[in-house]
Amino acid sequence: MNGNQAGTLVLEDVSKIFPQREGQGEVRAVDRVSLTIPPGEFLTLLGPSGCGKTTTLRLISGFEMPSSGRILLDDKDISHRPPNKRDMAMVFQSYALFPHMTVFNNVAYGLRAHHVSRGEIRQRVERVLDLMGLKGLGERRPHEMSGGQQQRVALARSLVVEPRVLLFDEPLSNLDAKLRVQMRSEIRNLQRRLHITSVYVTHDQVEAMALSDRIVVMNEGQIEQMGAPEEIYRRPISRFVADFIGRANFLPATVCAVEGEQIAIDLLGQRTTATASFTPRLGDSVAVVLRPEGLQLRPDPDLPQVTVEQAMYLGTSIEYFVRLGDERLIVVETDPRTERIFHEGQSLGLTFIPETAHILPAG
Amino acid sequence: MKVQRLSQIAPSIRLTRNRHIAEFWRIFQDPLLFVGLVLVVLFVGITIIAPIVAMVQESRTEQGQELFENYLGSPVYRTIIQNTMEMGLLVAAAGTALGFLLAYVQVKVDVPFKRLMHIIALVPVIAPPFAVATATLLLFGRNGMISRGIFGVRYDIYGLDGLTLVLTLSYFTVAYMNLRGMMMALDPALDEAATNLGASRWRIFRSVTVPMLIPGIAGSFLLLFVEAIADLGNPLVMGGNYEVLSTRIYVSIVGLYNTTAAAVLSVILLVPSLLVFVVQRYWISRTSVVSVTGKPSGTPHMHRHPLIRWPLFAVAMFVTLFVIMIYGTIFAGSFTKILNVNNELTLEHFDFVINGYGSEAMKDTTQLSIIATPIAGVLGMLIAFLVARKKFLGRNALDFATMLGIAVPGTILGIGYLLVFNEPSEITLPLIGTVTVLPKLTGGRALLGGAAAIVLVYIVRSVPAALRSGVAALSQIDPSLEEASISLGEDNFGTFRRVTLPLIRPAFLSGLIYAFARSMTTISAIIFLTTPRTKIMTQQILNEVENGRYGNAFAYCVILILIVLVAIGILAVAVGTSSGAEKTMEGGA
Repeated sequence: MNGNQAGTLVLEDVSKIFPQREGQGEVRAVDRVSLTIPPGEFLTLLGPSGCGKTTTLRLISGFEMPSSGRILLDDKDISHRPPNKRDMAMVFQSYALFPHMTVFNNVAYGLRAHHVSRGEIRQRVERVLDLMGLKGLGERRPHEMSGGQQQRVALARSLVVEPRVLLFDEPLSNLDAKLRVQMRSEIRNLQRRLHITSVYVTHDQVEAMALSDRIVVMNEGQIEQMGAPEEIYRRPISRFVADFIGRANFLPATVCAVEGEQIAIDLLGQRTTATASFTPRLGDSVAVVLRPEGLQLRPDPDLPQVTVEQAMYLGTSIEYFVRLGDERLIVVETDPRTERIFHEGQSLGLTFIPETAHILPAG
Repeated sequence: MKVQRLSQIAPSIRLTRNRHIAEFWRIFQDPLLFVGLVLVVLFVGITIIAPIVAMVQESRTEQGQELFENYLGSPVYRTIIQNTMEMGLLVAAAGTALGFLLAYVQVKVDVPFKRLMHIIALVPVIAPPFAVATATLLLFGRNGMISRGIFGVRYDIYGLDGLTLVLTLSYFTVAYMNLRGMMMALDPALDEAATNLGASRWRIFRSVTVPMLIPGIAGSFLLLFVEAIADLGNPLVMGGNYEVLSTRIYVSIVGLYNTTAAAVLSVILLVPSLLVFVVQRYWISRTSVVSVTGKPSGTPHMHRHPLIRWPLFAVAMFVTLFVIMIYGTIFAGSFTKILNVNNELTLEHFDFVINGYGSEAMKDTTQLSIIATPIAGVLGMLIAFLVARKKFLGRNALDFATMLGIAVPGTILGIGYLLVFNEPSEITLPLIGTVTVLPKLTGGRALLGGAAAIVLVYIVRSVPAALRSGVAALSQIDPSLEEASISLGEDNFGTFRRVTLPLIRPAFLSGLIYAFARSMTTISAIIFLTTPRTKIMTQQILNEVENGRYGNAFAYCVILILIVLVAIGILAVAVGTSSGAEKTMEGGA
């Protein structure tokens, strides 16, 4: 149903400066962000609250104007175009359904604003309600529906105007956990099918990985790292990204050989090679990122010994907090064949899966 | 990375300075919004700011300065100032206490006749001035039906005691509404938490309920203080030898034709009024810990203990019956020849008001109020929308200036109108010659016999309430609703029409009702603006009371109340009371 346009969105060196509340200072909410989003891509802006992701979305939507830089849609500069003339549609965290209108009128709202004929409105609204699994609910009021249904209406309302870009502002954060997972996969399927360029804002890294073609991790208004979900998870470029995307252990190590991409390090008494987000030199002290599932516990006295401080059986996995000297590490056992559970206070050997090690600058 | 970021701040300072200007200019991009803003600013400037400024200027003339020194040095005037403050404080204390009591009984105690108590507590809003005072005189004065008739005393009600009683009965509704709203917004979970931690009822009241309501109590106290010192009608009837500033101002204009003296006295009255307004606006509202917008998470727990319940019920019921008695007196007085002297039933007073000499005032007042009401309502919503939803330079100033319309005592506004609009404003342009921008609005040979100025005053006095209820309604509506509309391709005007207005309809309605009731019952602000060609009911009531024709005055009051009630009914049907918005706020998210 989205046949009329490409939808290449480009941000060129975009900044947004707000004055500080009660004071003379100012806040750089968005700091020289540049991005190119090809047609049909699902891109997620991910970061902690205050990182500038929502402001970036509001700049794209036109509810804020950039302090500097340009925003281009299909090669046209739209930086100062009012939001109602941008050919984008936004899905809000609060759904923002019009409470005084029926579901049908909510969905028809944008079409009426665009002066689409009465017959065509009926046709298009019925089709999109059908697509969203809301057939027959057109005469309901928003407050008579469940949270999941309301979110579907909000999505339908945005889809029906066939925007060039769909914007999502944390649309799932008001739903309960199970529904969130279900809606997540619905949004993903729909977007793949309709091939609409989409920009999605969330602070939930699992949601970001599940949905996105590409993730942009933001911190203090700047882009920290940009890439496919697996790239960001496996090859974070900073401690911030490693910490924010999933959970990470950081262990100190020393570089003992550099051969092109392959860096050799001494880690937990083993020599191993690992990838790095930068080019270290021989003898450098570095930090090694190891995901919890990359660490393993074994009753082996030859390995470096750790003490189990806490053990939690979670069904799909077993989580351990262990102490290695001053460091508290997290180890996740995911092998479903594992039957033994180590108990708290037990001393064990610690080892790792070499392929999962990734090197960051120390500190 | 940090160093680099610091170095970037320098160029951004320039950007910020431009940003203010950019945001100011953004409003120009939307022509409708721009036109709306210009109209609003012009209106507020001409009808509120200019009169106040003119009044202050008048007091600062040489003659004014001299009077000023005389007044502050004279014991007579010092007594008047002292009287005003004394009366203000007493009424504020009594009215707040009464409002608190009734609100507490309404929200927190399980007693019968709640609905009746609530309605009676609201009646003073639509009561014409003089009604309560006159009825009180008949009941408790020297020949009072109760003081003399039942207790056999010749009580002198004129003065501070009578004034305090009458003003408290006239204005406690302000405190009642304010505190009732806050009490209902108090999260019952707080009570539950306190009980759970082992606190007794009395301890909860002392350590949770009252502290949370302190801003509401303080706010009510201040509002009542301002209302009391600004009131003119009651001191005129009840004051006797107890003179206050507002009556002295009235005498200066009506008796002595000395506008300068009135202006000087007005400035003395203006100072405490404005001070209280500023404190209320910038301090009380900031310290409020109760979020009135928040939805309570349960139903409040009601007191059921008989030792709490019945004494409180007795007091609240006594107040309710007292108010009923006052209005009963008005009603009875309008149907009898001379109540308490000749109790023969008659319709002659109504004949006077409806068919006779009084009918002109009834028609004029209603007409002018009907003209002012929609203008005030729409203007209030428009300013609320601009203030709550748009960013522009001077947003707070616009809000503040609009609120001055009610924060300033009515007499002061009236004098300002006399000063500004007594001459036509003209500008001389080359080639075209002299152009009249605004015709003469007050005094003899004024435009429409002064009716235009009266309508303006009605609007100015009503817009603040509409503004506040509009802002309150808007603050309950998620701004993303309007953003959703815009993001779907609708423009600003369409969004206002299709989304905002339907959602704030209840606020619009209450703005309209308030505007009509206020216009019909206002006296102090228009008392100097009426002309022989334009008669206003409240003014006529004063005449009748001053000439001892209580029956006519009561008939006016009864008819005025009826007109207001009918208007409320018509407005409620025409505008509709519910919007569905309240449902969303619960069902939404």
